Amino acid sequence: MNHAFSHYLFWPLIKFLVAFVIVQGLVAAMNWIERRLLGLFQARLGPNRVGYKGLLQIIADPVKFLLKEDIVPASAEKVAYFLGPMLPLIPAFIVFCLIPFGPPPTFTVTRVNVGLLLILALTSTGVYGIILGGWASNNKYSLMGGLRSAAQMVSYEVPFGLSIVGVLMICGSLDLVTIVRYQEINAWNFLPQIVACFIFLVSMNAENNRTPFDLPEAESELVAGYHTEYSAMKFAFFMLAEFSMMIVNSCLIVTLFFGGWTLGMFGIGLTTDVLKGMGMFGGILGTLIFVTKVMLFMLMYVWFRATFPRFRFDQLMDLGWKWMIPLALGNIVVTGLFILAGQERLLYWIGIGAIGLAALYLFKPKRAESRKVIHAS
Amino acid sequence: MQVEYRKEKLSDKYLVLDLLEGLKTTLRELFKPKVTIRYPEERMEPTDRFRGMFKFSYDRCIACKLCAVACPIDIIYIDVHDDIVEEGGKKKKVKVLDRYDIDVKRCMFCSLCEEACPTKPKSIWLTTKTYELATYDRNDLYFNMQELEYWDDRPKYTGLPEDDTKQIEGQKQISGGVE
Repeated sequence: MNHAFSHYLFWPLIKFLVAFVIVQGLVAAMNWIERRLLGLFQARLGPNRVGYKGLLQIIADPVKFLLKEDIVPASAEKVAYFLGPMLPLIPAFIVFCLIPFGPPPTFTVTRVNVGLLLILALTSTGVYGIILGGWASNNKYSLMGGLRSAAQMVSYEVPFGLSIVGVLMICGSLDLVTIVRYQEINAWNFLPQIVACFIFLVSMNAENNRTPFDLPEAESELVAGYHTEYSAMKFAFFMLAEFSMMIVNSCLIVTLFFGGWTLGMFGIGLTTDVLKGMGMFGGILGTLIFVTKVMLFMLMYVWFRATFPRFRFDQLMDLGWKWMIPLALGNIVVTGLFILAGQERLLYWIGIGAIGLAALYLFKPKRAESRKVIHAS
Repeated sequence: MQVEYRKEKLSDKYLVLDLLEGLKTTLRELFKPKVTIRYPEERMEPTDRFRGMFKFSYDRCIACKLCAVACPIDIIYIDVHDDIVEEGGKKKKVKVLDRYDIDVKRCMFCSLCEEACPTKPKSIWLTTKTYELATYDRNDLYFNMQELEYWDDRPKYTGLPEDDTKQIEGQKQISGGVE
């Protein structure tokens, strides 16, 4: 086995397969976790019949999807109809090559110096499958869902990209590993870039068509949106792609704003060097930290879904174009000014202030006079 | 009643702190006890006034037919014959119940028969806290005297394998429920 083969093909392939299997396991588990957690949020129990606490639901669902009859509408555009569920899967799987799960070089599949750009380029192609599936179904509700999805994803791609620019300006690199290394020496990026972090979080929800932005599959308006005509394994592929993209976006927000696999700031705590000093165990620990952070964000998706009602379409567009994009641009300008003045550390106070304000709002003592009741006569 | 809400402040519109309030509410809801009753394993215990299946007592019944008269849809069928019993050298006429049938499938559980019953305690009553009355055949719901008195002995649906009696004994009863 010569060096180039093992270095560029064999080991990356093995690492990718391991990461792929773990991530797909998480995706399958997420299906159960979401349903169970949503139940608990809504004062019921959720699926708890199969196995211990309903854990076997993770296996039962794919089996059900595999065994179900695959119905193809007679008037569907056959080739596009089959391509629809496949296309979003491809970028969702490839992206896991580029995400650093743990300390490099062992726990990253590939290290690309424009990794972030490549991830953005790949993830934004996911919308093709949805449009194609919606159009090929030859059903007006599916088409509406597909079109809505296209409009929404294109709109939110802009603040999604712009919010990252602030991080890039601070870290000075598109390489995800470098971004994480920067964060462990300085503060995690959510402190200086709290506005960007918020925009990223909102855009991330919109990109994945999750509640409050799940207009493409608004069941009260469009039967089920773009996957109305899909059943069995094809429908499962759509779900698989959606959950995979959710994991990808959670990985991105963890890497960009929450310090990736590290658990320390200002060079103190479990930084990359400390983890590397622990050898293989340190690497696995770093990966575990990363996965835990990612799962926290996955739970956040469910939490948002349980909390927020759905937007109207014009409200969605308003939020995207009138609020998120100017906010992201303003964030870039402010960050640029601070960097120009050489006072990057002052940006931390913005983050600390915002978090303090939110905490103050949440835990302030309730005033009794918040609702006045006037009795008739 | 007129309710005057707090005036919307500028900060409510431009800072999205209200969203945090919503998130807090749902998070609090996550840790509250759930209202779901996992039916075959746990059963809800109805309140004391709940009208369930009939229960009949042959010993208490004096065969006066008042319940059959009170029944608005006439689903209580009673047959009686007189018997002469010797008691202390005296011949006494005693009513003996031959047939006491209730067509439960047509019953509306109005409890008028129970109100009409003159015996004390009542020889027919509905407060049995039973609600599992479903059958596969509608004719199964025609109950005669013996069945009305001893339906409690029939096997209960538990949703568990029949030989798994250990779990059935450990059934959890949930009180409260519909009030």
